[in-house]
Amino acid sequence: MKNVVATNEFNQVVEGNSLGKDAWRRLRKNKMAVIGMIVVIIYSILAATAPLLPIYPYDQIILDHQHLRPSLTRTSGEIMMENRLKDLYFKAWRSGELVVTEAESAQIRKWIAANDTNKVWNFVFKEGEAQREAGIFTFNAADQRVITRLQDKIDTEFLIDVTQITFSEEKGDKRQDLSKMSYEQISRIYADLSNTDIEAVKAQTLTEVSSQLMNTLKSATPGLTAEEYAVNLELELQTIGESGVAKLGKTNLLGKISTTITRQADRDLKQEIREGLAVFPVERIIDVNDQLQAKVTATKKHERMYYLGTDYSGRDMLSRIIYGSQVSIAIGLVGTLTSVLIGIVLGAIAGYVGGKVDYILMRIVDIMYGLPYMLLVIIFMAIFGRNILNLFGALALVSWLTIARMVRGQVMSLKNSEYVEAARSMGGSTARIILKHMIPNSLSVIIVYSTLRVPAFIMQESFLSFLGLGVQAPFASWGSLVGDAVDGMTLYPWRLIFPAIAMTLFLFAMNFFGDGLRDAFDPQSKNEL
Amino acid sequence: MTKYIVNRILGMIPTLFIIITLSFFIVRIAPGGPLSAERNLTDVVRRNIEAKYHLDEPLIKQYARYMFDVMRGDLGPSFKYKDYDVNYYIATSLPKSIVLGICAMAISVTIGMGIGIIAAVRQNSWIDYLTMGLAVIGISVPLFVIAPVFQLIFAVKLKWLPTSGWYTTGEGYLTIILPAVSLSFEYFANIARLTRSSMLETLRSDYIRTAKAKGMKRSAIIFKHAMKGALLPVVSYLGPAFAGIITGSVVVEQIFRVPGLGKFFVQSSFNRDYTLIVGVVIVYSVILIFMNFIVDIIYAQLDPRITYK
Repeated sequence: MKNVVATNEFNQVVEGNSLGKDAWRRLRKNKMAVIGMIVVIIYSILAATAPLLPIYPYDQIILDHQHLRPSLTRTSGEIMMENRLKDLYFKAWRSGELVVTEAESAQIRKWIAANDTNKVWNFVFKEGEAQREAGIFTFNAADQRVITRLQDKIDTEFLIDVTQITFSEEKGDKRQDLSKMSYEQISRIYADLSNTDIEAVKAQTLTEVSSQLMNTLKSATPGLTAEEYAVNLELELQTIGESGVAKLGKTNLLGKISTTITRQADRDLKQEIREGLAVFPVERIIDVNDQLQAKVTATKKHERMYYLGTDYSGRDMLSRIIYGSQVSIAIGLVGTLTSVLIGIVLGAIAGYVGGKVDYILMRIVDIMYGLPYMLLVIIFMAIFGRNILNLFGALALVSWLTIARMVRGQVMSLKNSEYVEAARSMGGSTARIILKHMIPNSLSVIIVYSTLRVPAFIMQESFLSFLGLGVQAPFASWGSLVGDAVDGMTLYPWRLIFPAIAMTLFLFAMNFFGDGLRDAFDPQSKNEL
Repeated sequence: MTKYIVNRILGMIPTLFIIITLSFFIVRIAPGGPLSAERNLTDVVRRNIEAKYHLDEPLIKQYARYMFDVMRGDLGPSFKYKDYDVNYYIATSLPKSIVLGICAMAISVTIGMGIGIIAAVRQNSWIDYLTMGLAVIGISVPLFVIAPVFQLIFAVKLKWLPTSGWYTTGEGYLTIILPAVSLSFEYFANIARLTRSSMLETLRSDYIRTAKAKGMKRSAIIFKHAMKGALLPVVSYLGPAFAGIITGSVVVEQIFRVPGLGKFFVQSSFNRDYTLIVGVVIVYSVILIFMNFIVDIIYAQLDPRITYK
């Protein structure tokens, strides 16, 4: 077949053309759709590779770095100092130590009355710095002490990260990575390290694991009695079994060992700073005892840069937005996928089988259309616990309706076509006809509809997270970031603006892409919703 | 016509019945109850409270009792707020939500249709591109982003409008503008897009060409002939739009501190205030079903091809 070239009477080559190829050609012509597609791809790559990107952990809380404004060039320490100075200058102006003209004072008072805190701070800061430069103004002793102490803190504080812990029985033996060892071995090592008995360590770990599980239980299903919790805990322990407990215990013990090492490294480094020996960033291997060795890195805490600022507990907004897009995009994709799958199955059954089944299924769809379904999702989330899994479930549960109707319509119109009849007369089973003939033929409609569903899903998820019913801290999603930011938006506008831009851009791109895809697959289609 | 309306009204009853039943059982099946937040209850006190709210009866009996009360128009006492019953809270807060919803709907319909018609009549001109660009923004920017951003720009920075509050508490009628505009944003955009596309299609049809050939005025053609046909898809969109405005008002009320029904809805879901949740859901569903009904009637009025059978 390969070499046969179809020619017509004018001896021209007629190329075969598939729907997909044709659609792709039309899509490529639509510039906005292509740009949209590229933006969506970039977002997806960023979200998927988030753990590999050189960004700070999204859940690392540094309380000193609360509400730092975004800056491309200045370190967190400099901004902290600036914030403190603003505060001190303002206090100085209040007490009359910082002298400004009468007109300027009146202006400041006007700003204070109008709640323009940022303007006041910026003004006193500029004025104060200028006066201090010129030697007119000096801080009083107490304020000066505060500044010196802060500067000292900025210069010396550091963050320690234990990247790897290795173990060897005897000096010179092959070193083993501690995270790859068994619970049993690690318990023994920890017992040696903390000079306790191995049985005591194990008992202690078991209690900790139980209380951890208890906390998860309590947050998942709040409001049970103590006995019910105890029963649930027992069940939970049985389900995860011995190996599950060991796994959790191992994580706990590793955490403890690395805390011990961090403490030791902290002590050493502080000593070195006092002696003026330390050069940051530090990366070294330290011997904890004869058997344990750890690779430790330390960086200056206040030399971090926050390009998009920080939030209310000093977490980096940039990495929170990137990890937030991970959650949001995942919910968009998975939610769409599940709802489309449910819709296809039910719609195909209703359309193909017809009769009573069709009637019942379509009445269910009608009734659910009549429900204020977003409100049902809110009830569902509020009552069954706020975790991501429930969110998926609740959203998928209410959003398969339209796709089911669409597939049903398609299947009903295809049911009587010749090729389906042919397949049936050759003895094809119902499942085979639906799966092999009908669904592939409705696929273009389904794909187009699904791309337009993704932004809707992301919006719904964000809507719930905004209300506090969706993704919970420390996790983030675009909606929860915007929701958190609304309260302090006059003082810290960057917390609102950056996630909002990130989200809007993605939804923009996705809408353009979806529109383009629809025009490409179905050129006759109107600009419908 | 009358028969159709009566039938439709009768048809609402089973839907409502199912909604009430569903919400009643969903809230009760879920773990935890309205009393679980109060830690130090002695058994006697707990039993007394349970008896007061009939929580000690079997579920089926509670359900029958509740259904009977609802039919009499009594939504029961609130579990959380001791001062008044659910009827009172809904009666005081619902009007505010309805005013907000109607304002938002009015804005989105008038502006959306106006822009859509202009864009269709001047197809491929700069007006067309500008308005449709604006419409894509409206569709892509979520409500809870646009609302705080409007608040930041128009209330905090420019100080043209109040940041929050509601006119009933004495902050003036300007308080309606921001919430209503933010709430209408998405729907205005959708309506504009719909109007434009259906108007374009209508303008290409034969009867419009006939009208043109008769030498009718352009304005008469657009407003008398084309508009009626072009409005059909828009009207059928109003049902879902109203549903969206209702859910959206939960967010807008929170951001602009409007003392409407939305606040009760979110709070009661957190508190598991059974009667209040179900009450609010019933009210929302009634509004929704009623609006769908109105939309159907208008639709039938506009399109003589639809018969009431």
